[in-house]
Amino acid sequence: MTDLADRQKLSYIAAQAADARLNVELETEGMTLNIGPQHPATHGTLRIIVRLDGEQVVWAEPSAGYMHRGYEKLTEVRTFPQVTALINRIDWLGSFANEVPFILAAEKLMDIEAPPRAQHIRTILFELSRIANVSLFLGDLGVQLGAVTPVFFAFRDREYVLNLIESATGGRFHPNFDRIGGLKDDLPAGWIAETKQVMKRLRAFCDEIEDLLFGNEIFQSRLRGIGVIPADVAKQYGLSGANLRASGVDWDLRRDQSLPLAWDKVDWKVWTHPDGDSFARCWIRLQETRESTKIVDQLLDTIPAGPIMAKVPRIIKVPEGEAWVSTENPLGEMGYYVVSKGDLGPFRVKIRSASFNNISIVPWVLRGVYVPDVISILASLYFILGDIDR
Amino acid sequence: MVAPLSDDTLALPGDGLREGVVNALRTALGDALLDVVLKPNDDLWVRVRTDAWRQAGLVLRDTVGCDYFCFLSAIDWMPSPYGKSEEDPTQPKEPIDLTVQQGYAGGDTRLQVFARVTNLAKHFGVTIKADVADAHPSIESWVTVYAGANWHERECHEMFGIGFDGHPDLRNMYLPTDFEGHPLRKDFPLLARMVKPWPGIADVEPLPGDDSEDEG
Amino acid sequence: MGLVDKGRMPKPLTSLFNMGRSYSMWVYQWGLACCAIEMGAAFGSPRYDVMRLGVIPLPASPRQADLVVVSGTVTDKMAPAIKRLYEQMPEPKYVISMGSCANCGGPYWDSYSVTKGVDQIIPVDVYVPGCPPRPEALLEGVVLLQQRIKREDMGARWRGEGYKPMVKEPIVVGGGPVE
Repeated sequence: MTDLADRQKLSYIAAQAADARLNVELETEGMTLNIGPQHPATHGTLRIIVRLDGEQVVWAEPSAGYMHRGYEKLTEVRTFPQVTALINRIDWLGSFANEVPFILAAEKLMDIEAPPRAQHIRTILFELSRIANVSLFLGDLGVQLGAVTPVFFAFRDREYVLNLIESATGGRFHPNFDRIGGLKDDLPAGWIAETKQVMKRLRAFCDEIEDLLFGNEIFQSRLRGIGVIPADVAKQYGLSGANLRASGVDWDLRRDQSLPLAWDKVDWKVWTHPDGDSFARCWIRLQETRESTKIVDQLLDTIPAGPIMAKVPRIIKVPEGEAWVSTENPLGEMGYYVVSKGDLGPFRVKIRSASFNNISIVPWVLRGVYVPDVISILASLYFILGDIDR
Repeated sequence: MVAPLSDDTLALPGDGLREGVVNALRTALGDALLDVVLKPNDDLWVRVRTDAWRQAGLVLRDTVGCDYFCFLSAIDWMPSPYGKSEEDPTQPKEPIDLTVQQGYAGGDTRLQVFARVTNLAKHFGVTIKADVADAHPSIESWVTVYAGANWHERECHEMFGIGFDGHPDLRNMYLPTDFEGHPLRKDFPLLARMVKPWPGIADVEPLPGDDSEDEG
Repeated sequence: MGLVDKGRMPKPLTSLFNMGRSYSMWVYQWGLACCAIEMGAAFGSPRYDVMRLGVIPLPASPRQADLVVVSGTVTDKMAPAIKRLYEQMPEPKYVISMGSCANCGGPYWDSYSVTKGVDQIIPVDVYVPGCPPRPEALLEGVVLLQQRIKREDMGARWRGEGYKPMVKEPIVVGGGPVE
């Protein structure tokens, strides 16, 4: 085992030396390449400045802020119910999932708990938004690597999930459905049967994507062994979600903390991958989409009867205190540190969004990779601009 | 270097484990550990002296085993001098009490840095706070303790104007270069709200099954 | 084409040109935030299929585009890039502002870093309200713009009279009949 590692190290050094020699012979100069702020490969307005030596990245720096909307300041001038309308738009692909941790933090401060039926439906909608989010990632992944077809598949099948969310909540993208103490409404008639159909369809979509992409040789050679993040580095940078699990850290907030949500009532699996490379990150997300469809299926069978709203006062004043709640969102750990002073609105909300940490590792992970891999590594890290900049 | 938490402590459930964490921190930091708030079945807050900030980070990482960096930010504890936009704009403005009052684990200054780190193996987290001086707010950087603190400290520097000694590159990351001020400080005004005040809190929607109370 | 040199244009020729222009629009996608995903659904998904309207959503650069859809929150940091993009586009050029943020700042009306409407930087022809608007609303905006293009007087444009701002009254999707 050590022999192999040593040999790999030696061949790496030899390759580096050859590269260096070539560079000396050709007298190449450093070049700065500016990707973004508007670039099809950066989904969103992330700008990445890379300094190149030939084809290799010497130094890379993401330049965020093109989507900074000042959430943390805006939450200070809004009431608690108004904040949910705002925070929907942080991670705009999985918007319902953004609301849940904030509402849970407010409920924690008020010391109330949503009735079981509401907790159940929250979990279902949470998983649906995860599916809507990650299915677009799976389609978009193809585009980043030059395959255009998967994104059409993703948009086609994602539409069914959005229709479900719309029929339950009224909003395709930004439901603003979660309330302190429960939910705004109950599920519409016929929704459960329809959801089951859609989940079947989504599982077929996952199989399709697996056949189209993950089994593809080009896909594998573009992603395997590229952008490896070891577990200790991942933890230091605070990577979360699939990015962390792809580095072999078995950690999922859905399982590893007790929240008043229904994940502990169903049977599902946390996937990890030992490799830590781009392929592992993509593969984990594919498996998680499948797991999510299973979770939704099981939850649909066991929705308890009862009210969907706890008794809360008409005008919500949250008692003084501090609370931290985070959940396993589609992109990773999303948490809110809510400080209340007993007013109608929060005193300070620190929004810990997953992409901010996930993308802060970019300068580290991009050093030494080749230009085409920049795009594939960024794609596999999977970020939403609104989630970085807030 | 203090030895990592013993297996006996790690085997304890929830609050027992948190108490073990507090003991470990107290042994390692001595009187630099200023205050502790342990809410049963919830969470742990600690406050350390400003000059022990980096050392506390090392203790948390190596002794307590919190190797996962969650976030780092700051709080401005001064109430906003512009109110919270909850007042009725037709009424004359009441004077706003600007007394600084800190939250959990206390504090002496207006600005506080706080961070959260997590132990992934044992599923607990610690929120750690430290005061920063009002006049020239600055504190040691955590970049050498948790590499992920780099961007968080840049954000914090931009939003609060807090300096981080030892940070390699404290550039702005969010705002345009000609932007002035630190937006998350409470005395930073939102100009749009100055021009056009929010029309009060006319935002009460009826809850499901709540029709009877509509009149009352 | 002596008539054209004099700045006059026979009616049939005008309508022919206008029809040609309105049904071969290259649209540059300036996707910024949530609306970008709905724009992607409208332009890239098989269900909404914008190409049936004669709109081609894949120009290589803004220099090739006739229409730009600004979808999403425009921040002060982004604004110079948008202005430069608009200046790179050849005349005649059209702008659709998609979503509340691009129209007026939307939910970030009181933010310190958001530009309150893209029309502060570039002239807008069609406003598509919504947060985010459905893909159908964007398609409606495209159709309304095409109707306006069909009524444009090419001669006036060539004489230099109707040059920017050609926009007399911007169209608002869902805001009643055009003109």
